[in-house]
Formats: sequence, C-alpha cells, structure tokens
Amino acid sequence: MTAGTATFLEPAKRRGTGNVAVALLLPIALVNAVGFIWPILNLAGLSIREALPGGGIGENFTAANWSGLLGDGFYIDLIVNSLVVSLTITLLTLLVSYPIALYLHRATGAWKSFLTVLVISPLLTSAVVRTYGWIALLSDTGPVVKAMTALGIPAPRLMFNTTGVVIGLTEILMPYMILALMAGFGRLDPRVEEAASTLGARPFAVFRRVVLPLTAPGIALGCLLCFVLAVSSFITPKLMGGGRVFLLATEIYDQAIVTLNWPLAATLSVLVLVIFGAALVLYSRAMRLLEQG
Amino acid sequence: MHQNIARDGKLASTDAHLSLEGVCKSYGNFTAVSKLDLGVRKGELIALLGPSGCGKTTTLRMIAGLIQPSGGRIAVAGREVTFAPPYARDMGLVFQSYALFPHMTVARNVAFGLEMRKLARSEIAARVEKALDMVQLRHLAERKPRELSGGQQQRVALARALVIEPSILLLDEPLSNLDAKLRDEMRTQIRDIQQELGITTVFVTHDQVEALSMCDRVVVMRGGAVEQVGTPHEIYEEPATSFVASFVGRTNRLKGIREGKGAVRLGPELVRISSYVADGEIELMIRPHRISIAWHEGQPVGNAADGENRLTASLARITFIGDLVQYHFHSAGGEIIVEQATARDTSQRRVGDMATLSWRVEDTFAFGAER
Amino acid sequence: MENHQTSLPMKIVVAVLFLFLLAPVLLVFPISFSGEQILSFPPESWSFRWYAALANNSQMMSAFTTSLGLALVVTVLSLAIGIPAAYAIVRLKVAGSQIWYNLFTAPLLLPTIVLGLAILIIFASTGLLGTFTGLVIGHLVVTLPYALRVLAVSLGNLELACEEAASSLGAKPLTVVRRVTLPMMAPGIVATAVLAFLVSFDEVVITMFLAGPRLTTLPVALFHHVESQADPLVASVSVLLVLLTLAIVLVVDRTLGLTRTFVK
Repeated sequence: MTAGTATFLEPAKRRGTGNVAVALLLPIALVNAVGFIWPILNLAGLSIREALPGGGIGENFTAANWSGLLGDGFYIDLIVNSLVVSLTITLLTLLVSYPIALYLHRATGAWKSFLTVLVISPLLTSAVVRTYGWIALLSDTGPVVKAMTALGIPAPRLMFNTTGVVIGLTEILMPYMILALMAGFGRLDPRVEEAASTLGARPFAVFRRVVLPLTAPGIALGCLLCFVLAVSSFITPKLMGGGRVFLLATEIYDQAIVTLNWPLAATLSVLVLVIFGAALVLYSRAMRLLEQG
Repeated sequence: MHQNIARDGKLASTDAHLSLEGVCKSYGNFTAVSKLDLGVRKGELIALLGPSGCGKTTTLRMIAGLIQPSGGRIAVAGREVTFAPPYARDMGLVFQSYALFPHMTVARNVAFGLEMRKLARSEIAARVEKALDMVQLRHLAERKPRELSGGQQQRVALARALVIEPSILLLDEPLSNLDAKLRDEMRTQIRDIQQELGITTVFVTHDQVEALSMCDRVVVMRGGAVEQVGTPHEIYEEPATSFVASFVGRTNRLKGIREGKGAVRLGPELVRISSYVADGEIELMIRPHRISIAWHEGQPVGNAADGENRLTASLARITFIGDLVQYHFHSAGGEIIVEQATARDTSQRRVGDMATLSWRVEDTFAFGAER
Repeated sequence: MENHQTSLPMKIVVAVLFLFLLAPVLLVFPISFSGEQILSFPPESWSFRWYAALANNSQMMSAFTTSLGLALVVTVLSLAIGIPAAYAIVRLKVAGSQIWYNLFTAPLLLPTIVLGLAILIIFASTGLLGTFTGLVIGHLVVTLPYALRVLAVSLGNLELACEEAASSLGAKPLTVVRRVTLPMMAPGIVATAVLAFLVSFDEVVITMFLAGPRLTTLPVALFHHVESQADPLVASVSVLLVLLTLAIVLVVDRTLGLTRTFVK
C-alpha cells in the first residue's frame, strides 16, 4: 500500500474498520457459502458416495461411481463424443469468428460501435430463443431444406442429430469468441502490418508472418472460452439433439432430473470440472510457449 | 514581514500555530517520513520542497489527517490533532488533481463544506458568492467542473477550501497540472489571497521557483527527512547541505582535497573557503552566474583581488539559450559551467580558448564529500 | 470510416458471417406472424394468432410475471449486497481482499449445469426447492459475481481524492459515502443493475434445476415448450423478449454507453 492510496481509515482505527468491513462482506459471504461453497463441496463428496435405488444416497464412501463410469463403454463413448464435438465446435467458431473480429478491430468510429452492438446483442438474447431460431431454420419445414429441395439437391438431415447441435452451438458461441479475439488483438497495430508490406511482404505473407503470431494470444483465449462453454452447454444440445445426441451436460441433467441418480450426476459434474482444469493447464502452457516464441 | 522567525526554523511550540514534533511515518520497512520537527507561525506561507518520494506529500497528508503518523505529535493552535479524523480538523485542502465533485455544480462544490457545518441556507449562499467572487468565478457558479478549464477548476478548489475559513490551508502541488503561463498567474493570485486572509498555509511542491517566489519559508526535504528550513534567501545563499545547494538553483560541483585551515586543493590550484567544513575530500559548489570570466587575450591577468577565488580553465563548449549563454570549461576541479547574459559578441569565443574564472569566496559552498 | 485495407471478398465473407450470426434471432420476427398451426418458414399465411394465443396462455403469462418479479428482486438484492462488498474490498482494503474478491467471483468460472445440480442437491434437503426464495438465492449466485466485478471496477476508477476532499471539508465517513462515493459510482450502479436484471431474466439452466411445477420462469417455460412442441407461439414470446432486451440496452447505451462497458 502506497501513501497515495491510503485512506483516512488507518492503523489506530483498524479494529473498528475491520468490524465494519466484516459487516459489509457478511451478506455476500452468506450467499457464497449457501449457494456456492457448500453445494460444490457437497457435490464433490457425493461423487464418492454410493447411489441407492430410488434416488437415495448411501452413507458409505465408495469409488464405485468412478470405476463404473470409467469402465462403462457407454460413458467412455459419451466422454469422447463430448470432447470431439466440443473441439469441432471450437474450431468452427474460431474459423467463422476470426474474419469478423479482424474486421471489427480495423473498423473505426460509429461503424465499429454499431457492429460491436450487433455482435453483443445475441449475447443478451436467451439461448432458448436463439436455439428456437435454429430449429426454425434447419427443420424439415424450414427455409434451408425448402431451398435445397427447390434446387433439386437432396437435403441431408440437419436437425435432431450432431450436425444440428454443432451448427447451433457454433453460432451461439460466436460472440464470446469474437470478443475474446478482439481483446487479444490489442497488440495488432495497423502500422506493423503496413511496415511489413513496405518491407515487401505480400498480403498472405503479412497475415501468416505478422498478423497470425500477434493475434495468437487472442486465439488461445477464445478457444479456451469456447471449448469450456461447449463442454458444459446444455440448452442447445438438449433441444436440437432431440434426445439422440448424448453429451456430458445433457447426461448430467438426465441423471439428476430423470433417473435421480445424484451420485452419478455428481461424478459426471466433477469430470466436467476436471476437463475444465485440463483445458486451463493446456491454455497456460500454450500462453507460455507463445511468450517464449 | 515575518522578520522574527528564527533562522533555523525551529519555533518554540507555543509560538507555532501548527507544530509537528518528531512526526514519522513508515510502511513496513520503508520509512516515508522520519522524526520531523516543524513549527509554522500564524499567517505564514511555508513550502515543503523536495523531489518526488521525499516525504513532503506524506507529511501534508498527515497534517490533513488523511494518514495517521506512526509516531510523534501534531498540534494546531496548541490543541493536539495527531489522531483526529480529517473531518474534525478544520483544514482546507487543495489537491493536485483538484478533486472537485464531478456530480455537483461549482456552487454546490463550494457550498459542501458549509453544508457539513450545518449553516443556514442564506448564510451558505452569501459565503459561496463571496468565495467565488474572490477567485473571480461567480459567473460560472452553475457549471459542472468538467465544463471548466484547468485554471478555473483550480480556483474552484481553492474557493472550496477557503470558504470554510479553515485554520490552516494545505496545498498539494496545486499548480503542477497547469501550463507555464497560467502557473505564473496562479502563483501571484494564491499568494495575494493568502496574504489578504492571513491564513497559515502549507504548500507542497517539487518546483523550487514556486517555493522561492511564493513562500515565507522553505522546508527542503529529502528521503523523509528535513535538509534545511529557512527563508528563500537563506536556502539559496546559505545552503546547509550539498543536496540543498544542488536541488535549489543550478550549481557547479567540483571535487578537491582539503589543505590547511581555509583552502581546498584542486589539482595544482588552491581555492579558499569561508568556513571550516570537514577534512579529506571536499565538494565545492559555485553557482554558474556568480562566476566571471577573464579571457586570456595575450596579456596576463592581474592578481587576484581580496576575497576572490581563481581557476584557470579552457573552453570546451558553448550552449546558447537565448537570453543566457552557458560556457562549459574544463578545469582542474572538473567541468565548470558559467552563465552570462547574452551580448552581441557572444559567438566570438572558440573551443580551446583559455580563461581565468573568478568568484567571491563567500559564493564558494564547501561540503564534506557525500559518503 | 471503413478501413481501406479490407478487400471486397473479405467484406463479402464478413457480411455472410454476420448474417449467420444474426439469422436465428432475425428469423423469429417473421415466424411470430405466421398463420400456420405448425412451425414452418416461410409460412403459407400471416396472422396475429400466436400473439393472441400467448395472451391467452396463462402458463406463459404467469411465468413471465414470475420472471419479471424475480429479476427485479434479484437486481435490487445484487445492488444491496454488491455495493457494500465492493466498498469493503476496494475502499476499506479488508485483510485478504484479493482472496475475497476471487472467492466471491469464482461461481462465474463454474458451468451453470454443475452449479445448478450442486444447488439442487442442497436445496432438496433444506426445502428451498421450487420456492421463490430458492430461485432468488440461485440467481444471486450468478448475478453477484457480475455485480461485484462491475462495481469494484467502477469504485476503483473513482478518484480517491474526491472522498478525501469531502472528508477534509467536514463530512463524516457515512456522509462521504452518501454524498460523494455513491453519486460518483452512479454509472457503475446502473450498469450493474442492467446486467443483473438481464442475467436473471435470461437464466435457464440453474432455474431449471430449482424451479418447481407451480413456480417457473419464462425462459424455463419456453424451454419446456420447445422441447415438446416447437410451434410459432415460442416465436411470439421470443419477439417480446428480444424487444424488451433491446429497449433496455438502447436506453442504457444512450445514457451511459453500455458498449464501452462490455468491450472493455
């Protein structure tokens, strides 16, 4: 603490200040304890309790949930499928977001503000509404299938399968990716690109040698964010998968609400958190490599 | 007008309107201010002068009550206020950034302190008007601070601090955010208002010109401690330490070895000093404009006058700064800069020209070399 | 205003991608005026029948009322709890303030599906399941981290000197907060209120775990409706939701510049 930031509440009154501060923090601490710490600790504990028939929870500690999960072919497939689908969505989101982010980064003034609002506005719209929009677009009576049929192209099934889930989630995650990319584009100064081209680099070479390396931190951040959101996404897979797409998040819901196997749901939840942790570790590794390179 | 102020700046605490005794402040291992003693007489304008990090702002904030001292005593008019909260101190504070309330009009800003004192509405209005008149801003009373120029905001801050008729006015680098021309104007205006109200004022600044031109006395600080307290004249003409000599005004620094009682040897030459300082390595300081030059034009230079020091030197460089010209010389004691008002024949001199530099013995400041 | 560096093919790509991004939201507008019994686009006929159906759908209307009331209560509580917390952490620099800040914003790092399940299990044993109080707590778990973040940034950006000036002018601590700190924080408070309202009003996943058969919110009712039958009724609700959000965002953007808050 420097002299500049010290307040009038200093040593002699420290104790009194401490009491005031505790009183001010008490409400948020209560909500945090009741709605976050206690439930999460309890959840972690549940993943090592046995599940009794009819939704009960046993007293005994057991590794059965974990061994059952990791020994069951269905769940192995579920986990692999979730990871593959999430990675696919992440890469697609990056592909469709990058041009927009780059364009927004270079835009200026009112035009930039307007486009930024356009990017943010879907974020403020309920995921249910946007998923419904995709159902309308991709269903057999929707414009895409109608247009393809009219053109004589045999339309593939776009709904109630993984394709639909991937398309819907890609669009739903785009705003996050665009904002993360733009945040990471801070270092990308148009003058650097200009300098590269005056040194004789062709546009693609400028992109590959200058733009891409400079925007790599933004790409890493955006990918982390989208992967994590994709793994835990629930609304879109549930509504667009039509019960035929099995992912971690939908399985957690089904186990918790339909099957009432809470220990299994808890185990799957902890697994999601483990995947989160692994993604974070990978991300920080990547960032360190980028800083060294 | 304050001729009865003691030369060393230490007033008996009964004499002082504001007194600091052994005040210190430390943050962990870092000592921001150590054992500071200071007495400020009623109606006096005193400057705390020093480079950034010297503890001057910390001292001001302790006086204001924004920081509590780690030790020592602060008293106003004999009443101890060391640990009183700022709102109970009755001090007017002007910040470097002005710190005007952005959500209130100029008039509301100025009225704030009076409202806190629960004065009658009519009296508040009258006093706000008077305060705004004093800083010539009555016509802007209903504006918001952000609609004002830097100089106007500064004057609002001053009016807001003065309207409560504080027992002490504290100014924290109030002019540093203004451009040079405005700064000169505000210096005069602040000094005039301060004299008119006769208000005891502590003024923190890193700018020696502000300190010397506005204040009755100057406290030069360094590393959390006081180096010297004195009138501007004393600080400039009789610096107590080499730091004061070099921080206030421009100065040449020469290194020599003490020889005999009143002389210092610089290579082959001897320079007399007026008072005993220390043995061994000695640092000499001479102001650039107190040195005169006698160019060697073939004929020898006459003998040294009484009370005069001399040094032979060769011209190394000339820097022309408009109204001043700086001659840089090589001498036995190191580089010496001599400043002269420019004249038509300034450009006549060539690098390598020899000259005898002379100055009065009293203008030779001698200090034991810095450890 | 457009950048001269962007070539025409790139502009076309960007335009197509923007269309992709906005298509689902834009599509619900024409569909809501469909005259068909089932969801199809483009519809064979147009009508207001689905708006009429919405007005007569007591389930949707009561869910809407619940959502509105819930979001208002959550917004007020987010401010009432968030402002003191931000003050304690940023201004009073309570011991370990960084740790407290991280702890209180940590729920944002967890997926809502995990959070929802975890809260469900606790609430099931404490009788809070399917109650308004339970929903309020569940929503606060998500809105408070946002509130604390925005408020802490807003408070941290305030010039401390203004509060010190007020104090030296004779204002006691509580008066300083009331007369100087809070008014200066006003933009941050408004931004927090809007954010808390929108987050609460749109929350689906946690709510789905905590809502009961008698008490449900509009997004959850909508979710269950789409799950069973995707008819144009959802489009009419969606249009109202989008317009409500748009209105709030426009008003705030006009007064404060919400875009700046978000992009930063």
